[in-house]
Amino acid sequence: MSDVVEKTLTALPGLFDSQTGAAKITNRLKQLIKSITELTSKHEEENLMKQELSAMKEQVSSPNTTMKQMREVMVRAMYCEMLGYDASFTYIHAIKLAQQGSVLEKRVGYLAVSLFLSEGHELLLLLVNTVLKDLQSTNLIEACMALTVVAQVFPKDMIPAVLPLVEDKLSHPKEIIRRKAVLALYKFYLIAPNQVQHIHAKFRKALCDKDPGVMTSSLHIYLQLIRESPDGYKDLTGSFVAILKQVVGGKLPMDFNYHNVPAPWLQIQLLRILSLLGREDQSTSELMYEVLDESLRRAEMNHNITYAILYECVKAVYTIHPKAELLEKAARCIGNFVLSPKINLKYLGLKALTYVVQHDAKLALQHQMTIIECLDHSDFTIKRETLELLFRITNAQNVTVIVEKMLDFLRGCNDEHTVIHLVGKVAELAEKYPFHSLTVTNVTRMR
Amino acid sequence: MQQQIIRETFHLVSKRDDNVCNFLEGGSLIGGSDYKLIYRHYATLYFVFCVDSSESELGILDLIQVFVETLDKCFENVCELDLIFHMDKVHYILQEVVMGGMVLETNMNEIVAQVELQNRMEKSEVSSVHIHIEQPGVTPVQLT
Repeated sequence: MSDVVEKTLTALPGLFDSQTGAAKITNRLKQLIKSITELTSKHEEENLMKQELSAMKEQVSSPNTTMKQMREVMVRAMYCEMLGYDASFTYIHAIKLAQQGSVLEKRVGYLAVSLFLSEGHELLLLLVNTVLKDLQSTNLIEACMALTVVAQVFPKDMIPAVLPLVEDKLSHPKEIIRRKAVLALYKFYLIAPNQVQHIHAKFRKALCDKDPGVMTSSLHIYLQLIRESPDGYKDLTGSFVAILKQVVGGKLPMDFNYHNVPAPWLQIQLLRILSLLGREDQSTSELMYEVLDESLRRAEMNHNITYAILYECVKAVYTIHPKAELLEKAARCIGNFVLSPKINLKYLGLKALTYVVQHDAKLALQHQMTIIECLDHSDFTIKRETLELLFRITNAQNVTVIVEKMLDFLRGCNDEHTVIHLVGKVAELAEKYPFHSLTVTNVTRMR
Repeated sequence: MQQQIIRETFHLVSKRDDNVCNFLEGGSLIGGSDYKLIYRHYATLYFVFCVDSSESELGILDLIQVFVETLDKCFENVCELDLIFHMDKVHYILQEVVMGGMVLETNMNEIVAQVELQNRMEKSEVSSVHIHIEQPGVTPVQLT
């Protein structure tokens, strides 16, 4: 009992101190920012930053600096680095902060480390022990922070050290930990695939997790795995279709609704996965027709996000083994997009047409008036996309006109990358359809 | 290098009118690779997300919206100054939405709940007693 009283008594002055302490933290940063905004030239800014940085350097190297003060310096250091000034002397202190500090200081330390250092950095090796410790901590927040850092910047060679702990987290009772663990493992898979070969069974468990959030995270992994080799996962098609059915049918908790649309991002992921699984495979595609039809029907509302779902649906319908009614519905959708006055939708319509044109050239011809109009649109992005589409629908009859349009565009374009890209295309067309030399000279002039 | 990217991005995005689409490709640093920029313009601020070609454009647009709405909830009528003076807090919020380049959470209430958890920890900083913080459970759903 008495030592509890003692603890409280010793904490009391700290209580009064830190009230002002917290204010002090923001104050110094505020001061710095205010002084920067009052400067009038880049030169003055550089001088001020130099001063500030040398003051910070002194502070971090002094043995008297407390953790709290270090925390404050770290925030200022992040601000300076954000503006482009080198504060590399603080890196090692950031790591120390994450190692030795209290939870709050850890948070700043971890944030600083993830912002300052990139994956190959040598200092990261010093962080590994801290991360290992925090992964095993009973404090939820520390474990979360460790998982976040692991997913953001972690040296590839140290993955084996931390892998068993992260795997362990897959069966943690708290949903947020399981979710972060899944994403951390996905990151491991991306940078070192052979290290995680043995835990594919655990991914399957994550897919069937009772919490939809964990299941959604596992979809990231599956999308990548299926992209690389769809055949290995055809047996999961049934599960994905079932999940999508439930989502579209509104079986998820109300929380997941965004503007009355059930879990739109989840639907988009699932549609992508299904389209990869159904490609060039009739039997697998047949499993999906019903749910695709349902999705096309449900996504009728007029909100950006439903259009996003429609777009993915349309792409899926054209990627998998064809079915006439679905194709018709999808074609109508694309038509609506292209004719829409909303510019984002026009862009998507054009992109969809570009994608679809290899399957169904007639669709593009149906909308050719609109496409021609888009060429003269004031928006650069739309113009580029239109030219991309025209490139795909070039044939012997319209090639001269199309190349003329491309050259017109090139004359007015000053973005280097686009010019190179487009010149390449024109050259390709010139080779494919040899025509009069005037155009060919134009091409060489562009180069 | 980072500064160059920032400068170029700003250059590209600030030139855009309000009635053009919110997607951008091109520019020597971004255009050469598989990436595109998706941005939203709010008063004097641009929120720009750089994504690879496999991401859904409209989906990201709405993700930006979710992020901004979350900022609004966490800062109470957020304004530019909040973002400048509390950039570390903005990062913590962003960490709950996107982790290691992948979308972690899109549900605004969930994100806010996580941030609140961390805020509570901050308020209890003065106490020297270790607090074990429990997160409210999520209702389980039977998905076969």
